[in-house]
Amino acid sequence: MNYVIETKNLGRVYKTYSKKEGLLNSFKGFYNREYIEKIALKNVNLKIEPGKIVGLIGSNGAGKTTLLKILSGLIFPTTGEARVLGYEPWARDNDFLRKISILLGQKNQLWWDITPRDSFSLLTKIYDLNEKHSRDRVDDLAHLLDCYHALDTQLRRLSLGERMKMEIIGSLLHSPQVLFLDEPTIGLDIVAQSNIRDFLEKYVKEFKPAIILTSHYMDDIAQLADQLLLISKGQIVYDGTVDHFMQTSDLTKKLIFRLKNSKEEHEKVFQPNELASALAEMTAAGEVTDLKIEEVDFEDVIHRFLEKESSTR
Amino acid sequence: MLSTVFWKRNLALAKLGVVTNLEYRFNFIIDAFVQPVLTVGIEVLLWLAIFKTAQTADIGGFGKQAYMAYAVWAPFIGRITISWMYESMMVEEVASGSINTILSRPISFFEYYLSQLLGYKLITTVFSLMVPLFASFYFDLPIFYSRLPLTLLLVIYYLILVHMMSFIISIMCFYLTRVRSFTLVKNLILYLLSGELIPIDLMPPFLEKLFLALPFSSGVYVPLAYLTGRGDFDLLMMGFRNVSYGIIVFGVVCYFGWKKGIREYTGVGA
Repeated sequence: MNYVIETKNLGRVYKTYSKKEGLLNSFKGFYNREYIEKIALKNVNLKIEPGKIVGLIGSNGAGKTTLLKILSGLIFPTTGEARVLGYEPWARDNDFLRKISILLGQKNQLWWDITPRDSFSLLTKIYDLNEKHSRDRVDDLAHLLDCYHALDTQLRRLSLGERMKMEIIGSLLHSPQVLFLDEPTIGLDIVAQSNIRDFLEKYVKEFKPAIILTSHYMDDIAQLADQLLLISKGQIVYDGTVDHFMQTSDLTKKLIFRLKNSKEEHEKVFQPNELASALAEMTAAGEVTDLKIEEVDFEDVIHRFLEKESSTR
Repeated sequence: MLSTVFWKRNLALAKLGVVTNLEYRFNFIIDAFVQPVLTVGIEVLLWLAIFKTAQTADIGGFGKQAYMAYAVWAPFIGRITISWMYESMMVEEVASGSINTILSRPISFFEYYLSQLLGYKLITTVFSLMVPLFASFYFDLPIFYSRLPLTLLLVIYYLILVHMMSFIISIMCFYLTRVRSFTLVKNLILYLLSGELIPIDLMPPFLEKLFLALPFSSGVYVPLAYLTGRGDFDLLMMGFRNVSYGIIVFGVVCYFGWKKGIREYTGVGA
């Protein structure tokens, strides 16, 4: 099997200045600085196939963005090896950069002071693309994302949703074979999130790039990802499909009920095979006036899994 | 083919430099006109005061009109050959992590900003030099107008060196994060070494020789000396040579500095 991304024992350590509270410590730090080392990634081994969407999930500071930055060549690893499309990413060979794209949801990648169309024209020259083909591609992508009307408005005057759509067009303009998406739906409303998810789904079906996607919205991952990577404290703690993850995870449900003459909501967490005993326990508590069973969702399972992993490390 | 791609890309970036700066028109007007005009006012007053108190018609072999010409042109050439705006943008890119946008594309950080700087400086030159040109005609200052093209060529060539200095300062940001004070110190030193403050030929002989041997004199003094007749063609050629040596030396520093600095980069803020 030819993998588009392969890593072996990839690790990254950040060295940071540690300053204790107070003015006196500021003076002390002026001549004698204490540095601490923080392990952001440790022994990451990955194999990613072409045409797959990989959901990368972890809590804040788990190492998701560091991994994306290393794989896209933005930063160097401290240890280990990585090959993306056969290239060592941090060598930042121009041929490699022409085949990948990274979209950081919290950063603008297009130019703030010019229109998206001008930005795309500039990108056409930077990537040395055919101008007509590039213009057609912009039009097609803009129609698909329903943002054609905003192409000639200065980027800084666009709404967050429109801006993100333009960023997506910019990142896809040169038809990358590998796409790194870091929080592409962050801050967007539910409709815009859904539009972008639908677009990415269609795009991957048609053009088959490999995508590594990080998101805090689990719906993004649940809808899009073929492969799930869970990262905790810099280490990959799960690597497999979403379905397999759900099947092997703790799928506890929640019984929420209200008793007569009580305003308080009671909760009972139970395993799917314990429903009968949970109901018996509930009815024994008194006369039930309201009842619902909350299904476990993907987000809950992930959070529980990561919490458990984090406490055992 | 490769060179066509190179020029197309860099012309587009130069255009970006022009378009984005014209977008902020008040900033442009202050940078291109107001700052140099204020400096001209200060320098003209200074030289008038010097001639009044010196009780002599010549200083260093040149009359009042020659110094007026120098005082009118030096701040404008000085504004062109300093890159505080692009330098602060480059530093900010590294400090804030927005350099990621450039690092993930097939273009170098050096090239990306050099083209924009040259585009912006070209437009600044065209607009801002109207002022000293008009003043020179109006006050009949001793200017060799036929020498203007070669003068400007040296100024533009010197900008590559200016950009290299900005590049080195921004590389320092990989280690130090906040480097604004380095920019201030560098610009202050250049103010003296370039001859913007005082024509270099007025310096004590040892300093004059030293300053002329350095490439920084080609930022203001050498082109202006040639334009105003204080220096000849040989001086101008020496200026081109010195800038070339400077580009080689600074180029080596830029190359190795970048190679080492980029390893320290942590991609902050993203």
